[in-house]
Amino acid sequence: MKRTLYIFIILSVVYSISLFADSKIRVVTTLPDLKSITEMIGGDKVDVFAIATGFQNPHFVDPKPSYILKLSKADMFVTVGLDLETGWVPPLLNSARNAKIQKGGDGYVDASVNVPLLQVPSSVNRAEGDIHIYGNPHYWIDPIRGKQVAEAIYQGLVKSSTEHQAYFQANLKTFNDRIDAKTKEWLATLAPYKGTKIIAYHNEWPYFEERFGLKIVDFLEPKPGIPPSPNQLVKVIGEIKREDIKVIISSPYFTTESADLVARQTNAKVVVLATSVGAEDEIKDYFDLFNYNVNKLAEAFKQAYGK
Amino acid sequence: MRKYIAIVVFTLLVTEASNAQQDSTAATDSLLSKKLSQQMQPQVQQTQSTAQPRNSINTNPNISVIGDFQMHYYSNLDKNFEFNFNEAEFTFQSVVDPYARADFFLSLEKDPSSGNYEASIEEAYLTTLELPADLQLKTGKFRSALGRVNPLHPHALPFIDLPNAFVNFFGEDGMKREGLSLSWLVPNPLDFYQELTFEVTDVPLNNPSFVRSNVDKYFFLTHLKNFWDLTPNATLELGVTGMTGPNDSSFSTNVGALDLTYKWKPLQFNTYKSFVWQTEFFYNTAKVAENSKVNSFGMYSFATYQLEKRWFLTGRYDYSNLPFESSLVERAYSATLGWYATEFQKIELQGKLSSSNYQDQFSQAMLRWVFVIGSHGAHQY
Repeated sequence: MKRTLYIFIILSVVYSISLFADSKIRVVTTLPDLKSITEMIGGDKVDVFAIATGFQNPHFVDPKPSYILKLSKADMFVTVGLDLETGWVPPLLNSARNAKIQKGGDGYVDASVNVPLLQVPSSVNRAEGDIHIYGNPHYWIDPIRGKQVAEAIYQGLVKSSTEHQAYFQANLKTFNDRIDAKTKEWLATLAPYKGTKIIAYHNEWPYFEERFGLKIVDFLEPKPGIPPSPNQLVKVIGEIKREDIKVIISSPYFTTESADLVARQTNAKVVVLATSVGAEDEIKDYFDLFNYNVNKLAEAFKQAYGK
Repeated sequence: MRKYIAIVVFTLLVTEASNAQQDSTAATDSLLSKKLSQQMQPQVQQTQSTAQPRNSINTNPNISVIGDFQMHYYSNLDKNFEFNFNEAEFTFQSVVDPYARADFFLSLEKDPSSGNYEASIEEAYLTTLELPADLQLKTGKFRSALGRVNPLHPHALPFIDLPNAFVNFFGEDGMKREGLSLSWLVPNPLDFYQELTFEVTDVPLNNPSFVRSNVDKYFFLTHLKNFWDLTPNATLELGVTGMTGPNDSSFSTNVGALDLTYKWKPLQFNTYKSFVWQTEFFYNTAKVAENSKVNSFGMYSFATYQLEKRWFLTGRYDYSNLPFESSLVERAYSATLGWYATEFQKIELQGKLSSSNYQDQFSQAMLRWVFVIGSHGAHQY
C-alpha cells in the first residue's frame, strides 16, 4: 500500500514538472486553418491543438469534455468568431476554469477582428435559416483575408510572449509575402474562368467567390442550414439549364445525394472542395488549401469549357 | 485591566495590518515596474485596422424562451386524453464580470392537479470562471450533479417522460436545490478527463427519497465523472454518484448511482448519423427505524439512433422498485420517434407500455413539441 502511494506521488511530481518544463505557448484553436496559421507565425515557440478536423462541419462540433482539459491548460485560444462556433465553444469555455482565454482575456483571440466582412445583415430573422448576425463567418477561405487572420494571431502571440515579438514579426512577414506571391499564382490559374457561374451547396463561399471572381448563382440548401428540398432542387435545375452552369461545388461534410441528383438531371459536375486544412490528406497547411481548391476547380472548368 | 489588554491587542492588530499593507504595496510596486518595463519595450506595430463595427453590441444577457407543448393519452384513466402546455421557460445567461458568469432559468409550469400555472425558479446560479487548482464553484439554485438525466432540462432529453426509476427515487422535478457545488478537474497521469464534484444543498420538503427534518437539514452529493475518447468518432463516460440526506422517518437515506454512456458520431458526416447508448443504475438504502432498512433498486437503459439528418429513434427500458417498498416492481418499454426541424424546434412521439406487480398493465402515448426563440445556448455533451 505504502509503495503504491510512493509511486503515485513520484508520478504526480514527474507529471507536474513535465507541465512546467514545457515553455512553449500552448494554443488551442477551433479550426485547423487557424492552427496552421498559428504554427506559421509562432514557429517553434508554440504548441497548437485544433478542436475541429478539416472534414467536419464547423457549425456542429461536439463539445467533448476532453477539449475542456486542453482549454484548461491553454495560454491562448483562437476562434473564428462571428457566432460560427456558437453551438460548441461557449460550453467548453464555461467549463475551462481558465480566465486567460475567456472573451476579454489576454489569451482570447477572435481571428475575425481585422477582417472586412461580407453579408452583414441589416435585420435578422430566423425564418431566413441559420443567419449569422455579424456577417458570413467563412472568411478564412480567402488567402488575402488569411493575412488579416495572421495579424490577429500575431497580436495574440505577442501578448502571450512579448520577448519573442521580433521572431513572430519576421514569421508574419514571411507569411504575408508568401500569401501575396501565391495568390498571384492562384488568381492566374483561375483567371481564364473569371465570372464563371456556379452552384454551391451551402452559403460558405462568398469570400472565395469574391477573391477569385466566380459567380455563385444559387444554393442547394433553400436557406442556410435547411437541407435541400425538392422545390429548391427543381429551381436549381432550371437555373443550371437556363444559365448553362457546369459546376456544383460542395463540402466534404455534406452528402452528395442531392448534388448528384441535380448533376444527373443536367450536365453539371459535382466538385467537392476543401473548406479547411486537413479535409484531404494532401492538404497539410493553409497554402495547400488553396492549391487544392484552385487546381480542382481549374481542372473541372477545363473539362467543362475545354479551355 | 481588560481595557489595557484590549488597547494592546488593537494596537498590535493595527501595526500588523499596516505592515501587511506595506508589503502588498511593495509587491504591487514591483509588479507595476515589471509591467512598465514591459511596456517600454518596442510597441507592437498597429497596422491600419480595417475592422468594421460589429452590430448588436450591448450588455444584455442572452435571452431565450422555450415552449414545451404536450399531448397525453392514457389507456387506464377516465379522462384519458389531455392537451398540456407543460412549460414556458425563460433563460437569461451572461458573464457577470471577469470572475464569474450567471445563468437564470425561470419557469411558468402547469400544476397537474390544479391546472394553474405557477412561476418558479428552475435554476439560478453563479459559476466562477477561474479558481486556483482547476476548481470551479457554483452557488445558487441548481440541478444536482446526479448522473445523466438530472442535470439536463427535460426538453433536451430524447424522450418525453422521465425514466420510472428516476421519478420513483427523485420525483418528477428531480433534484434541484439551493447550496454550493465545487468541482475539480482531477489531474491524472493518463491525462483523461476526470471531474470530481462535491455538493452541499438544502433538502427538499417533499421528495420520495429525501425529506427535510428539523435535525438534519443538509443533502450531500459526490460525483466522479470519467470521460474517454475511444476513437475520434466514439466516446465513453462513466460516472459514480453518492448521496446522503435525511428521509421522512427522520433517519438518513443513502443513494448510490452509476451512469454509463457510449456515444458514436462520425466526424465527417456528423449531422447525418449518430448513436447513443446510456444506462443508469440507482441503489437506495433508507433507514426507516432504529433497526430497519429498506433497500431498493432501479435502472433504465436507452439507445438513440439517428436514422437521417432530422430523424431520431429512441428505445428505452425501465425497471424500478419503489423506494419505500422494494417488493413493488415496475417495468416499462417505450419507443420515441423524434423529428428535429432545426436546432430550434423538434417534435417527438412516444409510446410506452408499463406493467407492475401492483397495478394492471397500461399504455400511454405522448406527443411533445419543443420550440425556442432567442439565443438558446448549446447543451453540455
